[in-house]
Amino acid sequence: MKYRYQDEMSPPPARRVTDVAITRFEHVFEVEPALMTDHVTQQDFPNWDTLRLVRSRADHLAWMHRHFADKVLSGEELLHDLDE
Amino acid sequence: MPDPEKRPETTPEKRFAEEWRNAAYNCFSSGHKFCREVCPVTQVTRNESWSPTAFHANVVAMEQGELEIADVAADYVNCTGCGACELRCPNSLFTGDFYRFRTRTVDLVKAVRGLAVRQGVHQPAWQRWNLLTDERGHEPVLNGTPVDQARVRDWAAGLDLPIGGETILFVDCEAAFHRTSVPRAVARILNLAGYKFGLMHEQWCCGGPAAEMGYEEQARRFARHNLDDWRAGGVRRVLVLDPHDYVTFTEDYPAYFGDAYDIEIVLVVELLAELIREGRLTPHVPVERTVTYHDPCRLNKRKGVWREPREILRAIPGLTFHDVDRVTQWSYCSGAGGGLPVEKPELTARISEQRVGKAAELGVDTLVSACPWSERPLSEAGRARSIDVVDLHELLAESLGVAP
Amino acid sequence: MTVLLGDPVLAELRQILGPEHVLTGRADRLNRTRVPAPFPVHRWAERMPDLVVLPASTEEVAEVLRLADSLRIPVVPRDGGTGLTDGAVPLRGGIVVDVKRINQIKEIDLDNRTCTVGTGINALKLNEVLGRHGLIYPDDPASYPCSLVGGRIGTSGWSLIGSRYGHTRDLVLSFDHVLPGGRVIHVGDGIGRKITKSSSGYQLKHLFMGHQGTLGIASEATLKLFPKPEAEFSPFWAFEDYDSAYRAVGALARAGVATFAGAVLFDEWKVDYLRRDDEAYIPQPSSVKALVCAALYGYEDEVRAGGRRLLRIARSLGARYLGDEISEGDWAARHDRYATPLHGRTRSGQVVPMSWHCEDASINYTNLPAVRLAWHEIADRLRRESDVFDDWGMFAYTNGATGADYLTEIDIGIWEQRLDDAAWEAWVRAKRDLAAVTLAHGGSISACHGSCRAGEVDLVPEELGGGYDVMLAIKRAIDPNNIMNPGKYLLDQAYAEKS
Repeated sequence: MKYRYQDEMSPPPARRVTDVAITRFEHVFEVEPALMTDHVTQQDFPNWDTLRLVRSRADHLAWMHRHFADKVLSGEELLHDLDE
Repeated sequence: MPDPEKRPETTPEKRFAEEWRNAAYNCFSSGHKFCREVCPVTQVTRNESWSPTAFHANVVAMEQGELEIADVAADYVNCTGCGACELRCPNSLFTGDFYRFRTRTVDLVKAVRGLAVRQGVHQPAWQRWNLLTDERGHEPVLNGTPVDQARVRDWAAGLDLPIGGETILFVDCEAAFHRTSVPRAVARILNLAGYKFGLMHEQWCCGGPAAEMGYEEQARRFARHNLDDWRAGGVRRVLVLDPHDYVTFTEDYPAYFGDAYDIEIVLVVELLAELIREGRLTPHVPVERTVTYHDPCRLNKRKGVWREPREILRAIPGLTFHDVDRVTQWSYCSGAGGGLPVEKPELTARISEQRVGKAAELGVDTLVSACPWSERPLSEAGRARSIDVVDLHELLAESLGVAP
Repeated sequence: MTVLLGDPVLAELRQILGPEHVLTGRADRLNRTRVPAPFPVHRWAERMPDLVVLPASTEEVAEVLRLADSLRIPVVPRDGGTGLTDGAVPLRGGIVVDVKRINQIKEIDLDNRTCTVGTGINALKLNEVLGRHGLIYPDDPASYPCSLVGGRIGTSGWSLIGSRYGHTRDLVLSFDHVLPGGRVIHVGDGIGRKITKSSSGYQLKHLFMGHQGTLGIASEATLKLFPKPEAEFSPFWAFEDYDSAYRAVGALARAGVATFAGAVLFDEWKVDYLRRDDEAYIPQPSSVKALVCAALYGYEDEVRAGGRRLLRIARSLGARYLGDEISEGDWAARHDRYATPLHGRTRSGQVVPMSWHCEDASINYTNLPAVRLAWHEIADRLRRESDVFDDWGMFAYTNGATGADYLTEIDIGIWEQRLDDAAWEAWVRAKRDLAAVTLAHGGSISACHGSCRAGEVDLVPEELGGGYDVMLAIKRAIDPNNIMNPGKYLLDQAYAEKS
């Protein structure tokens, strides 16, 4: 991770997903920025920080599964069993 | 309509609260306080006044006129700036990226400390520390022996490193004057890989610690000096071995200089992992130790850097590595950050003891860190349990067979 | 009674606890006043204690209570302070006894499958240790990463996986309890510390759980442990209407699957709300109107068999499985998706920070649809009255393994920055109305949090009937000087009668 200010402060272009959400990074949603203009305004958010949170969230969720059980069963696999 | 007869009195606290209001309510109004059990200070003191959520609630209280800065300045000493609270907060971890609005406890703590200093409310040890830093250009890390500009490159004696160049290695105060074997190891490893770099013309402290303790003007002055020095020397790239510097250069300096900040910052641990991956470095000397790795807070929690140090450890032959995953380590800390050891060394020691205790449960003989600042208190705590504290860069140098 | 600085009581407390464990600072006291339930911020100082003590042992708690009782000083126990019914909020000043320092693991008994801990410990931290022994203490509230065992006892909390393992009352076997006068008793089934079932004497354990600190302070508890589950399965399903989801959740809960740990029903309002900012639901088609999830824990072979059975039942009732990614991610996020204030929206859709407040009645399965509609009407009234309120939808969670009753919650966002006296009055009125709907449908005002906040508390005597008179008599007998958390549950009446 080489840090360059200009790169970090230039997020990928936004694409609309719903009336209230957009996306910039693959599989990552963001609020429609127009909804954060009157009361709470958005912070400067370098790209590394967005990606850090997304990855940390995934790591945290995996941790929470491990914390409660040794393994997680796949519903897709069990459904497949039903169809056999 | 506000009553013109009753003009609200404006105090520095209320002006401060104005700025931090939404951030404070975003914590205050969040019923769950997941920060508490990951906060190193709260864990050892169990004192809710010294919990991350209290630091936000106090801002709401200032807004309501219930608190003045003098009431709380000393409470805000109790933070290592590790970032666990803001990462574990659902407002960061679950919705921070969505709203582009996350919990920023570390910034808030710095800002409150800054408000205190501006209001003339000083913490005695911090005031002394920053005064000495200002006089000498470096932090007084040698316990009474003065640090000296003329000796900031002594660690590199005999290594024949050039001064200046497009890429330089920045060495933090603790490593330059106290943990000198760490930068030596880094320099020798980079030389071995044929990676070209030099040293700064006139390196001053990065300014990060002053900013953390609330001495903002001083921090900016030091930052300005360093950036000017880099520019004057044609520096394009700064290699950083200390996680604290890495945060300063990628968060504080951008905030100070904005668009004009055009220096590339490279973390040495990441560079070394890359050089190993590319086959430019091959650790081959077996190191017979049973180790666990201490995720430095500023790498793991604040920057999301945890993979590369493990990559390096796994490349070293001979090691038995008992890893503890990065999420579990969100609640670990050495206690060495955020000026805590300067003002409350006894609290740093308790946090270090707790961290080393976790290592002891794994039956290891060595705790590997990658942060020079963590290594002093961890070593002290390690002695009591016969656990060596070793720096990752030094461990790698040993396995590469380079001389100390 | 107000304790003044320089008062001899301060010197005595410092003697008992050590000076650094007696806090008198304004910030110390303000922060021991805070709980998650919203309250007008401009009235914050009304609820400040006079001082805070941080005891480290049962003996210290007992000495503090002895002193407070002799001087008639109010005492409010505080642990995690994450409860939603203000149990930890001082209404009359006095001393907050914050027990977080009593957090040691005293014993892990591998043979009897119990552990004994200080009540200031957090279950997640405890389970990090128990996990090394292949064990788990399965008390899993939404506040799991921060709530503490003592608070779970004081509120008799509810667990998200309680249909499999029981709730706090089932999982806490016994505890040391400090009575208001400072006497320490051991409360459990019979006298035993590790006894799970006794018929000896009155069953006091229930009495000393869920009293919201009005009967004393638990300081050390013995907990029941289980093998850490080998496997977890947490399917999430989508439905095209609420009624289908309602039928499905009932069928899943009644199926009698032994590894079934709980199921949750999300209504249309909740799904709409999730579409605001939840990565799992933003991309879902508009036909998705309601959701159900279930959780199973146990050995892999039994979870597999039970999981297949539940999948078959859900499929037969029109459910669409949402896939492994959503199912796994959303279940693991169960503690994190509640308390993020930026969920809040003004009527024009602007993002504002709102606190999450949840009203949590216990409602029988057959009454869920009617209660749901009546509750949303009340929430809608609030929203029409003021932008301060936002309807965040409803969940219904199975309470037990048989599906008789559900923790039924309506989540209301409250914009605390604008919570003025008028909005507060509207809120208290709404809480009273919500509780009235519950009672009209044969429910209990709270399944989980307790019911001693303004509004709902007015209806507690009606709910309990003659039982409330017994409550008054017990309070008077155990706490003759009314020092323990005075003002809660309208218990002052106990003393009015006496005089």
